[in-house]
Amino acid sequence: MDTTTTQPLESLTAAKVIDARGAACPGPLLEAKKGMGTVAIGEVIEIWSTDPVTKTDIGAWSGKVGHEFLGSLQDAGYDRVFVRRMK
Amino acid sequence: MADHEKLVFMVTHGPDHPEHATIPFVMACAALASDVEVVMGFQADGVCIVRTGEAEQVEAKAFPPLAKLINDFRELGGTMLVCGPCLKGREIAESDLVEGAEVVAAGRFIAEITSATNALVY
Repeated sequence: MDTTTTQPLESLTAAKVIDARGAACPGPLLEAKKGMGTVAIGEVIEIWSTDPVTKTDIGAWSGKVGHEFLGSLQDAGYDRVFVRRMK
Repeated sequence: MADHEKLVFMVTHGPDHPEHATIPFVMACAALASDVEVVMGFQADGVCIVRTGEAEQVEAKAFPPLAKLINDFRELGGTMLVCGPCLKGREIAESDLVEGAEVVAAGRFIAEITSATNALVY
């Protein structure tokens, strides 16, 4: 598990799950951007991606735009990436 | 973080170079998703990318199809500026360009570049 928060990611319930599996860069990032606009401030989105660089890419994007990158979990052949909307 | 950031991407490669045609759109879409204003400028063979029907033929390995990226770029609010003399030299009419492409000349490019946070050339 790769996480930047002390809260267990397994216990998080995302307000929106975005299935970006199979999408090439910048697809998962653009889906995260769209998805973030559909949840309220304070809520969490969860992005699924088979691209191994998505978790670092989403982390960098979160820091750039001011959201909270919560970390990622590995699942069967894909990553689950968690971001909390902060603005 | 600056209040307002702007990037200019100058694209000089056409459909014969799929990666050089595609990667600037990848970067531009990521910039727009990061709340950065983006202007794309097309010069030399780069103008062929924004000729209607051309992008549908371009797909760089491991990247999304160029046509999808151009649609994403438009949806995210990016600006596309196309070199007028470059079009004329290739006998491409303004009416042949994809929706949203604006024909300009050097002065506009310079204005965009000098007002940008940074400019990248592909």
